[in-house]
Amino acid sequence: MQWSVIWAVSRATLRDFWRTPEAVFWSYAFPLAMALVLGFAFREQARAPIPVAVVAADASYASALAALRSDPRLGVKEMDVVAAERALTLGAVALVVHLSSSALRLELDQTRPESELAELLVRQRLQEANGRRDALTIATTNVTRPGARYIDFLIPGLVGLNLLGMGMFGVGFNLVYMRVRRTLRRLAVTPMGRAEFFAGFMVTRLVLSLPASLVVVWFGQIVFGVPVHGSWLALVLLMIVGGICFSGIGALLGSRAKTIEGASGIMNAVQMPMWLIGGVFFSNQRFPGALQTVVDAVPMSLVTDGMRSVMLEGKGCGGVMLPVVALLATGLVCLAVALRIFRWN
Amino acid sequence: MHAIEIDELRKVFRGRRGASVIAVDGLSLRVARGQVFGLLGPNGAGKTTTVEICEGLQTQTSGRVRVLGDEWTHATSQQIRQRIGVSLQDTRFIETQTVRETLTLFRAFFNRGQSVDDAIAAVSLQEKANARVDKLSGGQQQRLAVACALVGDPELLFLDEPTTGLDPQSRRNLWEVVRAFRARGGTVLITTHYMEEAEQICDTVGIVDRGKLIAEGTPRALVRSLGGEHVIEVTGQGLAAQGEQLAAGLPGVTQTRLEGERMTMQVAAPHQVMPLLIKRLDDRGIELTELTTRHTSLEDVFVALTGRHLRDGEAA
Repeated sequence: MQWSVIWAVSRATLRDFWRTPEAVFWSYAFPLAMALVLGFAFREQARAPIPVAVVAADASYASALAALRSDPRLGVKEMDVVAAERALTLGAVALVVHLSSSALRLELDQTRPESELAELLVRQRLQEANGRRDALTIATTNVTRPGARYIDFLIPGLVGLNLLGMGMFGVGFNLVYMRVRRTLRRLAVTPMGRAEFFAGFMVTRLVLSLPASLVVVWFGQIVFGVPVHGSWLALVLLMIVGGICFSGIGALLGSRAKTIEGASGIMNAVQMPMWLIGGVFFSNQRFPGALQTVVDAVPMSLVTDGMRSVMLEGKGCGGVMLPVVALLATGLVCLAVALRIFRWN
Repeated sequence: MHAIEIDELRKVFRGRRGASVIAVDGLSLRVARGQVFGLLGPNGAGKTTTVEICEGLQTQTSGRVRVLGDEWTHATSQQIRQRIGVSLQDTRFIETQTVRETLTLFRAFFNRGQSVDDAIAAVSLQEKANARVDKLSGGQQQRLAVACALVGDPELLFLDEPTTGLDPQSRRNLWEVVRAFRARGGTVLITTHYMEEAEQICDTVGIVDRGKLIAEGTPRALVRSLGGEHVIEVTGQGLAAQGEQLAAGLPGVTQTRLEGERMTMQVAAPHQVMPLLIKRLDDRGIELTELTTRHTSLEDVFVALTGRHLRDGEAA
C-alpha cells in the first residue's frame, strides 16, 4: 500500500464529485431542502380555535353567547338547528350548543378528543357566567422545548439517510459505472492494487460525508434550534463510522455487478429496509420484543438512534461506544469481503 | 532474452448451455527485445485474447506465457505491471478529469516514469492538456490512452488496435510515437487489422487466424514468400469461364487466384507480363473492365494463406 497512490485515487474521485453537479446537489443541497420542507410542514402550531355551533332560540341568551365567545379556544358560530346538525355530522364543528329557555343541551360525539375538550370548555364558561368560582388558584406555564419536536427527530434521520445515499451512490454505483465503461479494466493493468484503490475511495467518502453530515446538523441548529445536548465528538465519531459502514456496504454491493440495472436492484433491496425500519422519518421503537432487537441492530438504526441519544439525551462518547464499534466492524467486514470478491472486469 | 514468450497458448470460453468457443488454439510466438511485433488478423481471430493474457488481464486455459522473463503469478504481477504499458481496446477514462489530471493519476501508479508534461508532448496533446476527457475527439482519446501507457516509462508496450477508427493524420501521429518508443529501446506488441499499419511500423508480423499463428516474419519476407513482389488484378467479362489457365506460362507468375470475374496474379516483373496478358485476353475475346498493378501487401499474404480477406470477418 502506497499513500501516494491512495491519495492520487482519492484526489481523482474528489474532483469527479465536485465536477458532477448532480452528486453535489443530492449530497449537500437535497438534505437541507428536505429538512426545511419537513421542518415547516410538521412544525408545532398554535392550536386553531375549536369550531362550535350555537343554536339560540331567542335573544335572551346573549350573555351566555358572549361568555362562550370570550374564550379564544372556542370558535363560536351561530346556526339554525338543521345547519348545526349537518355541520356536526360532517365534522365541521366539534359540538353543538342548544340554548333555549326550557333547557341547555350539548350535542357531541364523545369519542372525538376535540369534542370532549370543547365540552369541558363550554361547560366551564357557562358555569362561570352564572356565578361559579374556582376553589383553588392553579398557575400554568406554557413551554415549547426544543428536543421533542418532529424536526429534532428528523435531523439525525436525514444525516443517516445522506450517509447511506453517499455510500450507495458514491461508492457502489461509481464502481459499477466504472466497470461498465471499462475504466476499471484499464486500472487493473496498472501496478495499483485493489486495496489502494478501495482506500482511495474511502478517503474520498470520509472527506465528503463528514461535512455533508455536519451541515445538516448545523442547519437544524440555526434554522430550527435543534439542540446538541451531548458531545460533538461523539456525534462526529458516529458520522465517520456511519460513513465507513455505508461505504463498505456500497463497495460490497458494487464489487461484482456487471450492469447498472443489476446494481440498482440490489441497492434498492438493501436501502428500502434501512429507510423503513432505520428510524429515518418515523420512530422505529414500537416493534414487538425480538423484532425490536433486529430493528435496533440495523446499521441505519445504529446511526439515527445513536445520534439522537447524543443530540437529545446528551450522551457523550462513552454512551455511543456500542453503536460506533458495531458500525465500524460492519463497515470493515463488508470492505474486506468486497476486496476479496471484487471484479475489475 | 525475449520480451514475450508464448508457448502452446489455449483459451477456451465456456458459453451457455455447454457450448464453448476456442479463442486461442495452440498459439506460440516469441517477441525479441527492442522489436515492434504486430499481430495481424481479422476480427475474432484471437489477437485481443492473446494480448490480454500477456497483460495479465485474462488467464489462459492452458499453455505458458512469459512476460519480461516472468509468468503471471500473484507474486510477480505487481513487478511485471511496473514494467509494462498498456493501451486496451475501447478505454474510457474518468470523464470529469482533464488530460493532465488523468496522466497525473496514472503516473502515480508507477515507481518511475516520465513527467506528465513529457507524456503529453509525446502524443502531441499539449493544446488539450487542460481539456476534460469527455471533450476530446476519438483520436485525442486514443492518444491519451497511449500516453497513459507510456507515462510509467515501460520496457514493453501493449497496443491493442490503437488506430482503429482514427483519421489518417492521427494514425500517422501514433506511428511516430511507436517509432520513437522503439528508438529508445522499447519493445512493442501491437494488434491491428490494418495491413498497411503492420507494414509501416512492425519489425515482425505474426498473422493470426482462428486462434492460430499461421505465418510469421518480417513484412518483406512474408510478401516475398508469395514469390512475386507485385500483383496484377484484372477484371473482365468472361474471365470466370476461362479459369486460371489463362495465366499459365506467363513469365514470373507464381500464384493465380480467381474470384468471380476477377483474377489476381502474383508476379515478379509486371512489365513483362502485362503485354502478353493483354494479348491473351484480346485473343479470347474477353472485354477488360479493370486492370491494376500494385505491390504485394500483407493482405495478399493473408488471402493466399486463408482464402479469405482480412476484413471478411468485420461484419460478423
